[in-house]
Formats: sequence, C-alpha cells, structure tokens
Amino acid sequence: MFEQLKELICNYVDVNEEDISLESRFIEDLGFNSYDFMSMLGELEETLGVTVEEQDVLEIHTVGDAVSYLEKLTK
Amino acid sequence: MDKNSVKTLCDLIAKSAECYGDKTYLKEKRGNDIIEKTFNQLYHDCMCMNSFISSRAEGKTVHAAVLGATCYTYLVSYFGTVFGGNTIVPLDAQLSPADMCELINRADVEIFFYHPRLEAALPQIKEMCPKIHTFVSLGESESYFSVEKITEEYAPAAPKEVSPETMAAILYTSGTTGKSKGVMLSHANLIDNTMCCDNESTPEDVTLTVLPIHHVYCFTCDILLSLRYGSTICVNDSILRIAQNLKLFQPTIMLLVPMIAETIYKQIKAAAAAKPEIPMAAIAKAVFGGRLKGIYSGGAYLSPDLANAYRSMGIPMSQGYGMTECSPRISCSLFTEENVGDVGKIVNGCEVKIVDGEIWAKSPSVMMGYYKDPVSTAETLTEDGWLRTGDLGYVDEQNRVFITGRKKNLIILSNGENVSPEELENKFMDIDMVAEVLVYSEDSVITAEIFPNPEVCKDMDKAEIARLLNEHIKKINSSQPSAKTIRRLRVRDVEFDKTTSKKIKRQQTSKGELV
Repeated sequence: MFEQLKELICNYVDVNEEDISLESRFIEDLGFNSYDFMSMLGELEETLGVTVEEQDVLEIHTVGDAVSYLEKLTK
Repeated sequence: MDKNSVKTLCDLIAKSAECYGDKTYLKEKRGNDIIEKTFNQLYHDCMCMNSFISSRAEGKTVHAAVLGATCYTYLVSYFGTVFGGNTIVPLDAQLSPADMCELINRADVEIFFYHPRLEAALPQIKEMCPKIHTFVSLGESESYFSVEKITEEYAPAAPKEVSPETMAAILYTSGTTGKSKGVMLSHANLIDNTMCCDNESTPEDVTLTVLPIHHVYCFTCDILLSLRYGSTICVNDSILRIAQNLKLFQPTIMLLVPMIAETIYKQIKAAAAAKPEIPMAAIAKAVFGGRLKGIYSGGAYLSPDLANAYRSMGIPMSQGYGMTECSPRISCSLFTEENVGDVGKIVNGCEVKIVDGEIWAKSPSVMMGYYKDPVSTAETLTEDGWLRTGDLGYVDEQNRVFITGRKKNLIILSNGENVSPEELENKFMDIDMVAEVLVYSEDSVITAEIFPNPEVCKDMDKAEIARLLNEHIKKINSSQPSAKTIRRLRVRDVEFDKTTSKKIKRQQTSKGELV
C-alpha cells in the first residue's frame, strides 16, 4: 500500500518518491492543500474499490495514517 | 418563468412545478444508483412536509434547524418548513457538538432535521437543547421520523399564504472575526436575490453542486437559480469525488470557490505537462466532463490570473461579490465579461454607495437584521436601510465593483495612515513559494507573516526562503506608497488556523519566526 500511495502522491505534488516516508505530513511536508488531498483520496477510492468516509479523513495527517486507514478498508 | 409572479419561496417552488413539471430537478447517488426527482415531485413532497410540520407545531409557527450535506431530503426539509411560514436554520455540518447546540438554542429551534450520523447523539442533544420536541432524520431511521417516511405518509397540504416579509431563514455567519451572528432573511430577500441578475442559464443546463449548502451563496445560486431557470442540479456526494462526479454528471455550469478552481487548474497543468501533444483546452474540457460552459466564482478573492488562465482554456469564469446579509449577491459578472480585477457589476435593484471608503448597499435583498441582536443590527444597518458591508472598495463608471479590503481589518498606523491588509495580501497571490499570508500591524510596523509552499521550498533552507521572500517583498514595496510598505517578515512552518469555510482567522497568535 505504501508503494502504491507514494506513486500516487507524486502525481499530485511535486516530490520525489524517496523523500516520502510514513512520517511525512500531507499538508506541512508534502505541500498538499485540503482539496488536493481530498481529490487524491477520491482517486484511491476508485482504484481500490473502497469507500472513504469524509469524517475519517479528518484523522489522517501523515502518510502512515493513510496507509493504515486504507489497509483497514481493503481487508 | 414570470419573475413578477414570484414573491415567496413557496411561489418559486409552485411556479417551477408549473413551468418545468416532470423535468428532472435533481439527481443524486444512492449506493450504486442515481435517483432523479422532478420539479413536480419536489413541490408534492414539500407539501407533505408542510402538513407534517403543521401537525407538530400546534397552530403556531416554529423554527426548525437542518444539518447535513446537500441531498433531496435536505431540500424537502428546508422548503417544507418555510411553506407554512416557519423559519429554517441551516447549520454547518462541521460544527462541534457544543457549538451546534449553542446555535440551536440561540435560534429557538423546536424541530431538528439531522444527518443520520448524529442519531446516536440525539439523547444528549435533547438534553442540551430542551426546546426541541421533534427529530427528523434526513436518511433512514428506526427510532425517529424520517423525511422519506413523512413524504409517503402525510397528505400534501398547499403552502399557506405567506407574506413576503416573513422570516424564512436564520443563517449563522462563520465570520473571520468575533462570534457568529444569526442573519435573518425573509422570503422577499431570497427571492429578490434569485431574480436580481439575468444570467445565461436555461432548462437544458446541468450544474454539479459542490459547495456547502448552509452557505447562502450555494443556496441562492445553485438551488434557487435552478428552480428559476428549470436547470438540473446534480449532487456531489463528497468533496472527495468531484473529479469522478464531473465525468459522471457532465455539468454545463458550476459554482466554485477559487481554491477548488485553482487545484483543478493545477491538475490540468500537470496533465498538460505529461502530454504536451494535447492542447490544454482539450484536457480542461475532458476534466470537467466535456460540456462545461463556464464557472461562477465567489466566496473569496479570485485572482485575475486564474480567471484569465481558465478563459484561455475556453472556460470563462464569472465573479460575484456579496455577503450573507445581502442574500448574498451585490454584484456579479457574466461569462462574456472580461475579468479586470473587479467583482462584477452591481445587480439589478441594488444601490451601492461608498462612505469613507466603505461599500454600502441597499436593496430588497438586504437582511431583516441579526436574530435577537439589536446592537449588532444597529451597527450594520442604518436607519434608512443601508447595509454597511465592512468591505472597502470603489465602483467604476461601468458600475463594476472593486474590493480593496475589509474595514475591520484596516491597519491604522501610528501616523494615522490607513492600510488595507488584504490589498497587500493579494499581491502575494501569484507568488508560487507563498502558500498563505497574513498582513497585520506589529508595534505599528506592517508585517507580513508567511507560510511558504512546502512543495516549492522543499530544497531550500530557512535562510534561502527568507532571502527570496524578502526579494518579493522588495518588489511589492516598490509599487507602494511608503506608508504602505511591508517592513517586517515572519516565516512560519505551520499553516494558519482557519474557519470552517477555510478562511484564515485574523485573530491568532503569531507563530512565525522573525527573519
């Protein structure tokens, strides 16, 4: 999941994959704005065939948060 | 639709059913299906809701709050409430439970239309809001009333004779300064604003509604204008899914705030960079679903650069200006009009004058006042009905309005000079390395506090960021009179606190490092 997410992040913001860690914060470290971030999660919904709840998104701050949330959804 | 025959929201719904009947008014996703509702169905279901509310109100008029995302049952709750001369109180779905209950009590709410996710908390809400006697779910419910069951079980009751001056809604402003205030809007206010500008819409138009419905900008310009023109509203089920829904519903017009327009533009630019052989206009067309005629922008400052970038891709952007207290439009532009940094022409029936640099507006759209707040009302409305907008600006000879800042934010320097922080902040809009900026006075020195764009600045150290920002500031200062020059820079490494409508809160402690 981490690898897949890293690849997608690079389509949304201008960062190198090797600079993305589980601790990277989407907004402060990677340069997302709140709408970029929502759009990316929307794209993940489609590719993974899951449903992301808007309320849950408020709890996602780091790449690690997103990985564990998405892994839970796909189990 | 003959606009002179419409005086109340009840007339608007009844007339839309008469004019557009079985045409689709609304489409929304339910699971894997898309449900469609016609103008006739909306009128019928609102009459059923009217009947239900009359049965709960025991002969008096009541206030009902509604909290949730845009959906058909939300609209039935809203219009069904005002059909009987009652008042609706739309609440921000992102409020904390304590703030929500405080507003419910402040607005004397007795009936609560709630989002299903709140159902488990209803016993506590009931305890904190003892006046509420009726809970109605916008979704399904085993234990409480639901809008769908009501529309099946209650016989339709035609709207009663409602005076246009009746209070239709209390809207709480989120406000970047101070405590939120309850703006009272009458039927006449909302209808005037629905009719105040003849735009390019037709019954063939389709809009994708993406903005929060408790804001009057979305409510008047998406919901009410579609009823006027007979166009179809498609509900964006989540901010997560705008891209998917653009492809699914293929809107012809859209109402956006600049932040969303800017992000979509960035994505188009990135796609164009990856596929230089495809013209940007073609990519933009595809991203928006293939049929988009133009975008209405409002809610925040739209930079002329962004408007022109869209126009060059074949998508004109129209800019509007207003405030909740004016239902909301004071000015708006058409797709055919070029953006020159203005916020559109003054709408029909509205007068604007400039008093000590501040924009004052007078029109049938101007609110009745703030609910149970005569002091704030007297501060905002003059005795002869002028609304002090608190915005600074001017009107040119073509009746176009230009905004230069907010009066309340005005920096008054010790030398008596007045400086508008927004005027200076707007000068940072097109600088890539600046994500957010706030200008204020610190020890009587004009200070710019900046949150740099982490993506653009990722390979720079603090000194380099400060050096480049200072260069930009020097450039900005060179075009300013000396009293308006920025003399101090603070750089922060965290975003600014925002209101729920994503505007930077002005009153917050500085977290920026002096550089």
